[in-house]
Amino acid sequence: MASPDGKHCRSQTNGEAKPPDSKKQKITELITDDEIMSEFSHHDASVARINNGSFGACPQSVISAQQRWQLRFLRQPDSFYFNDLKPGILESREAIRSLISADDVSEVSIVDNATTAAAIVLQQMTWAFAEGRFEKGDVAVMLHYAYGAVKKSMEAYVTRAGGRVFEVQLPFPVSSNEEIITEFKLALERGKVKGQRIRLAVIDHVTSMPSVVIPVKELVKICREEGVDQVFVDAAHGIGCVDVDVKEIGADFYTSNLHKWFFCPPSAAFLYCRKSAKFSDLHHPVVSHEYGNGLAIESAWIGTRDYSSQLVVPSAVEFVNRFKGGIEGIKKRNHEVVVRMGEMLAESWGTSLGCPPDMCSSMIMVGLPSCLRITCERDTLKLRAHLRECYRVEVPIYYRSPKEGEIDPITGYARISHQVYNKLEDYERFRDAINKLVSDKFTCPSLSA
Amino acid sequence: MPPVSSGNPNLVSHILPMASTDAEHYHSGTNGEAKPPPPKKQKLCSFISESEIQSEFSHHDASVARINNGSFGCCPQSVISAQQQWQLRQLRQPDGFYFNDLRAGILESRKVICSLINADDVSEVSLVDNATTAAAIVLQQVAWAFSEGRFDKGDVAVMLHYAYGAVKKCVEAYVTRAGGRVIEVDLPFPVSSKEEIITEFRRSMERGKLNGQKIRLAVIDHITSMPSVVIPVKELVKICREEGVDQVFVDAAHGIGCVDVDMKEIGADFYTSNLHKWLFCPPSAAFLYCRKSAKFTDLHHPVVSHEYGKGLAIESAWIGTRDYSSLLVVPSIVEFLNRFEEGIEGIKKTNHEEVVKMGEMLAKSWGTHLGCPPDMCSSMVMVGLPSCLGIASDKDTLKLRAHLRNHFGVEVPIYYRAPKDGEVDPVTGYARISYQVYNKAQDYERFRDVINKFVSDKFCCACLSV
Repeated sequence: MASPDGKHCRSQTNGEAKPPDSKKQKITELITDDEIMSEFSHHDASVARINNGSFGACPQSVISAQQRWQLRFLRQPDSFYFNDLKPGILESREAIRSLISADDVSEVSIVDNATTAAAIVLQQMTWAFAEGRFEKGDVAVMLHYAYGAVKKSMEAYVTRAGGRVFEVQLPFPVSSNEEIITEFKLALERGKVKGQRIRLAVIDHVTSMPSVVIPVKELVKICREEGVDQVFVDAAHGIGCVDVDVKEIGADFYTSNLHKWFFCPPSAAFLYCRKSAKFSDLHHPVVSHEYGNGLAIESAWIGTRDYSSQLVVPSAVEFVNRFKGGIEGIKKRNHEVVVRMGEMLAESWGTSLGCPPDMCSSMIMVGLPSCLRITCERDTLKLRAHLRECYRVEVPIYYRSPKEGEIDPITGYARISHQVYNKLEDYERFRDAINKLVSDKFTCPSLSA
Repeated sequence: MPPVSSGNPNLVSHILPMASTDAEHYHSGTNGEAKPPPPKKQKLCSFISESEIQSEFSHHDASVARINNGSFGCCPQSVISAQQQWQLRQLRQPDGFYFNDLRAGILESRKVICSLINADDVSEVSLVDNATTAAAIVLQQVAWAFSEGRFDKGDVAVMLHYAYGAVKKCVEAYVTRAGGRVIEVDLPFPVSSKEEIITEFRRSMERGKLNGQKIRLAVIDHITSMPSVVIPVKELVKICREEGVDQVFVDAAHGIGCVDVDMKEIGADFYTSNLHKWLFCPPSAAFLYCRKSAKFTDLHHPVVSHEYGKGLAIESAWIGTRDYSSLLVVPSIVEFLNRFEEGIEGIKKTNHEEVVKMGEMLAKSWGTHLGCPPDMCSSMVMVGLPSCLGIASDKDTLKLRAHLRNHFGVEVPIYYRAPKDGEVDPVTGYARISYQVYNKAQDYERFRDVINKFVSDKFCCACLSV
């Protein structure tokens, strides 16, 4: 931790905001396997933690950096507020801007999570309806597999304000980008059927459940061709998981969590707002005295809070750069291993993957044996709890309703993740647990409510 | 319970050792119990000593006379430690934490608050980040009422002129923008009695109803921020009811731990207070109380999650993946409070008495006065600064404050009061001093001496660089 040196706190008037240096790493030294395990030694070692996708992970060195920021605030909060906070947030924003190839740091705001970002984008729609810029019945389009919170946000801000919401039905399992592109085009047609404008398209970059990488660049292009006013890409699983180049992708708004795949502590996310976007009157719903100074400035002060998770982005970048190839290398290896693990499991269980490898990121959907009789969402929660409690395997399960006429359908898919702390044994344990459940003739209905 | 032992040495500061990394301990969550391991047990008959108090706040910068508890509050070591235990639990196994521990922990915190504030039912108590967030929740509901036609354009919202800056902006963002008309109650400062405030408030009610429009909302501070004065909220709420105001929202950012907070006594529809200012919570946490029988109860957290529609308390308990640890340590705070003789009541009483004593000491030394009588102060008091310092604007107050911080190690906010016509040698600057359990007489003596030195050096704000 920082030494409790009173002088240190008052040295901030030169605008420099970095916490005291952690142990300096030689730039040429790559992180070793032992060091990786040490960085994640606070994880419960008894758990096969193959669900990085839900809550992410944060290494010790970034936690330490976070604690240094927290201590700085506790030591002298006024000085922290006047001297350290703003430059620190700006530094984090600049680091993100560079990572995502945004033109200007003013386009990058830091918020708590993608859920908050969605509320920001959608609240702006409410005002557009209330103030007559949009008309009742104007349309918003989203994917059927959009995240639950985002669906509710659409209901709370768009439907309630008079908008009409269309869901794009996507197939799952899915075998090609073209299937998704076709459905999306169809949904846009439906949207324009009564001559109403499509005011917003919400497109996941990587859907949550079931998890599939969506061809966002192509879909954004279609939106532009169809005259959709605003395109919002929800990439909760974005940075650190798939390639995030906001100019390439071309959306008006793009959000991604930093705590899922970019090693930030809970929680932090960025919301990118293209400068040239038509509608740029976004506000943070928690209004402070910074109201009206632009979303990035508003978001950087929403009242007294612990902003430390937003301040450690530079430390997360330092961590990532200890790996061969930095974040690109991590992404590549995560993808390769999770595909290999998925194929290993599917082969052992006699099932299949939910999509081809090129439509996966660091997560993959693996079919579970149909004899487990997963018949509803409730079963997936029960099975997940059973796996956690009796086998120490943490993995989310997705329920897929069978289509008419399917024989012995696969109705359950496990979404396995791979992150730098995972080991082969994690997936082997899962493989063996399911094989045991099968040989024990276990079925979901046999689990208590 | 096993003794608290150190966990991973990399993980925690010098603050306090972590809970043992015992997997079994972690799994005690499925029976619904969510508490982290309790801190070292105290002998019931021994209250916290002076040196223990200093130890609890030893992470404060010892070189600073920290007489501004009002702005950012403070948090003792034992609560920080409890918070870190919650944080570690989430990092260890976040899924287990989410499914087994989080809800139960939030509920327990809410129950404690419900009891502390004399609310009828825990469903009336939501936990949010801070009073600023609570204001957004209440005011967003007003915006919907306008756009959905329950309120008419031009209907009125009343707030105090000294309302907190963020709340004023919030009223602009959600009420004015939606078509509401905002009336500010001008309050005198310095002020000498509750009656002055009550009179002004009544007048504003009249102005509000002038064109036959309804007063839909009154936003009343329990303790204004700058300048800081305790407002007679109970009387003002009563006036609101007599005048048929639809919704009364009390903004008590400086509420709990500072003044008496009894929901049924005060009678507002909505009441919010920060927990990190005067109730020793780490940054940051606040409660928003919503009276069950209130007319308009369709409040929502602006950050919408899958819990949308299940009531504000449930919505607020899950607004996406976040660190909820500051909301989870409320039971640990109660344990800390109970180490003081007479608990939070005793702390409030002592803080009030001491800050008045210090304020009077300063005013006497500087030849100035307090901004209001002692019975209108809480744990904070406004002390006039010598007029020869030449504080002539808000900017001057910021410059002076920075000067005091950077060169004299004194942290204190300054308020600029525009002089009235004809005033001779007006006192235009007031320092808002706070008193909390970690403060000492030396903190205020240092401030006293610095200001006296300024006066004798003929220092004035105009000589400070921009």
